Amino acid sequence: MAGTYITASGAPVPEISGVDWSEKRYLIVDDFVGIRQLLRESLRNIGARHIDQASSGGEAMTLLGRMHYDVVLCDFNLGEGKNGQQVLEEARVRNLMVPSSVWLMVSAEKSVEAVMGAAEHQPDAYIIKPITEGVLLTRLNRVWHKKQVFHGIDAAYIDKDYLRAARLCDEQIARHPVHEIDLMRMKATLLLKAGEPDKARVVYEKLLEEREYNWARAGLGKIRLANGDHEAALQMFQGVIAENRFYIDAYDQLAAALELLGRHEDACGVLERAAKLSPNSVPRQRSLGNAALRIGNVQLAEHAFRKCLAIGEYSIRRTVDAYLGMARVCGMKNDTKEALRLLAVAQRDFPGDLVELRSKVTEGLVYHESGDFRRARKSGDQLEAMLEGESRRPHTATCIEMATLLFAVGVKEAPVELLCHVVRNNHDNAVLLDEVQKIFDKARMGEEGAELIAAARKEAAEMMNEGVLLWKTGRLAEAVAWMRASRERLPDNMRILFNSAQMLITHMQQQGYDEELMIEANGVLMHVDSLAPGQQRFAQLVEQLQELIPRRDAPAAGGVDDPAGTMEDAAGGKAAPAA
Amino acid sequence: MEDRGGSPELFVFLASTVHDMKNSLSVLGGTLESLLVKQEARQGVGQGVGQDAAHDASYPQMAHMLYQTRRLSDNLMQLLALYKEVGKPTYPFEPVTVPLGELVHQVASQSRVLLEAKEIRLDLDFPPELLWTLDEDLVIGVLCHAINNAVRYTRDRIRLAIAEHDGMLEFRVEDNGMGFPPSMIEAGAAVGQGVNFLTNSSGLGLFFASEVAKMHRRRQRGGAVRLENGGPLDGGCFVLTLP
Repeated sequence: MAGTYITASGAPVPEISGVDWSEKRYLIVDDFVGIRQLLRESLRNIGARHIDQASSGGEAMTLLGRMHYDVVLCDFNLGEGKNGQQVLEEARVRNLMVPSSVWLMVSAEKSVEAVMGAAEHQPDAYIIKPITEGVLLTRLNRVWHKKQVFHGIDAAYIDKDYLRAARLCDEQIARHPVHEIDLMRMKATLLLKAGEPDKARVVYEKLLEEREYNWARAGLGKIRLANGDHEAALQMFQGVIAENRFYIDAYDQLAAALELLGRHEDACGVLERAAKLSPNSVPRQRSLGNAALRIGNVQLAEHAFRKCLAIGEYSIRRTVDAYLGMARVCGMKNDTKEALRLLAVAQRDFPGDLVELRSKVTEGLVYHESGDFRRARKSGDQLEAMLEGESRRPHTATCIEMATLLFAVGVKEAPVELLCHVVRNNHDNAVLLDEVQKIFDKARMGEEGAELIAAARKEAAEMMNEGVLLWKTGRLAEAVAWMRASRERLPDNMRILFNSAQMLITHMQQQGYDEELMIEANGVLMHVDSLAPGQQRFAQLVEQLQELIPRRDAPAAGGVDDPAGTMEDAAGGKAAPAA
Repeated sequence: MEDRGGSPELFVFLASTVHDMKNSLSVLGGTLESLLVKQEARQGVGQGVGQDAAHDASYPQMAHMLYQTRRLSDNLMQLLALYKEVGKPTYPFEPVTVPLGELVHQVASQSRVLLEAKEIRLDLDFPPELLWTLDEDLVIGVLCHAINNAVRYTRDRIRLAIAEHDGMLEFRVEDNGMGFPPSMIEAGAAVGQGVNFLTNSSGLGLFFASEVAKMHRRRQRGGAVRLENGGPLDGGCFVLTLP
């Protein structure tokens, strides 16, 4: 296939990619006027006619809000205000970019955040200065082509139909060997999300036979971690870091492994190193702050939360957690005034029902830790009143935090109700039940607590069994209705949720598609995924649900091996469905 | 796994200074290129090599300015990559799969204006469809630097040839000049044996190229660089092999 070109100019004409770059709308974002002119010149040379420019992140946001651009060339380093990464995040989070648009991040050097995927929102490509037209055109064409290849996969990913997306990866690998590595990487990620760690492991191992990819090695570590092999995972992550100190993801994983091994001090140390390497990530500074609080290192926690607030100021990813964390730090330093000010800011800037609850808990903890028991009690009473007026409950961790505080300040009924809610929704999670029992013991309610736990578990199990019984005896519609009611009572119980979704799907498989049931089943599954992502049964049910949707282009039926699915009763045994 | 030495403030300051220098060099190089292209168009040069482009005495001077700007830019990139952190040679390595046609297009278009201005012909010989996995930015940097170097040594021709030999990809940048002096050939051999040969700026380029080659590993094999004299153009040859 060797082709010999001899050209006077020395530039072979690139393959015609079938993309007309002249009709597209371009935005150049750079704080340096000379660079903007240079880039505009380059774009004109490839035929571009519609080119807008912004000299700062704020200006870029204004333009992005007004117009959909096909191509954004954004410098990472924009001086004061938002940096390029923050502009990208906000544009993505606010949906100012259409899926087909291309975002090229320009930077003077390869930074850690850039190459190591430390950031959640990734640009389509990074280009290192100085930029030449040949590089620009090549990368634009490549990104465009890659977007075509990933189009169907991304769509299935957004639907959370991970198994179908993984199959599409295989199809594309056969067609486009140039994207094989990216496709295999995606496939492994999808298999992990679909709760198929063994299949993901095979993909990573195949990649590693060729070359040492950090992300593949770290992927194997994640699988080890998920299988409970914490020590082996730990060694893998340490190996990745020894090989490449910049692979930030490995630090986060290593910290998670250390946490699971109960080595909180070490975990905190690892997060601290990661935050030094990549200081501009809000979630990482937040985890560091929380880890430091857990081991009682107030100074480190303060530093992390302060950094969190500083970088969050220009970021769409500003979260309430940093304010609550910082308030705790102020409480520990006996600066109640500042803590209360932060809580006021949190409630003002983050409207949302649960923020009020969480702020109130934090307020109580601040008073309690600073020794002002009278005010702590008052916060507890207020929290109790708030809980009475609100039937919904936050996630398990917040419930446990609230119950702990309420017991500490001497309130009794509200925390008992909260803990029973936690048990009902996690009736087969032995570790959590132990934790709940310990909270009862500490509140000198050991025996009473044990009875409450048993009763709550029994209630959940009975609800489950009744639903399964209806279903087994062929009363499908009744079973579906029963499970609907069960979800009201036990909104976060994984078993109930899974069985409920399974029944809705089976009902449709037997009685035909129904839009309302479809929306209901989808809602249940999305809730499951938000509670505990990456479960095998979730992926299987999503796939079955997607296959039920009548498609206009009606592809050949994929064929479901087990259309009725399987149902688990409260004991966790598999039960064959009644036809 | 140890913490970064030096103060973070200093690091941020250095990073922003480098950013600024890169911007200035980009603008300088870009402006010179467009001036050269405009002049060329005005004088009707570019129809082929060998026409008299020196109507205007400033034309070859600008060409030389562009060459020097490129050297500055290359050296800055190499220093940055080697000393990403103050005093610590680390660099994020990112292999991607590219068809050689795309790689060569990027290298050739980066050198085009300079080579035309200097009236040097670039011959290319490579399989454009062949896919290879490498760190694209680093390899483009090494090849462009090798071509820039050859501009200094060559009479009027440079050849970039790429071919696969038993699982290794061999890139050759050859010229029709006098060949490398013995001291450079020795430096190339020393770098190949892992000796740091950082006595002058050409040593830096060679050392950087060797570091880039070594970063590429596949099935237990690593890359390498070497210098030779001879080849089809009977001048100096820079050779980079990647697994």
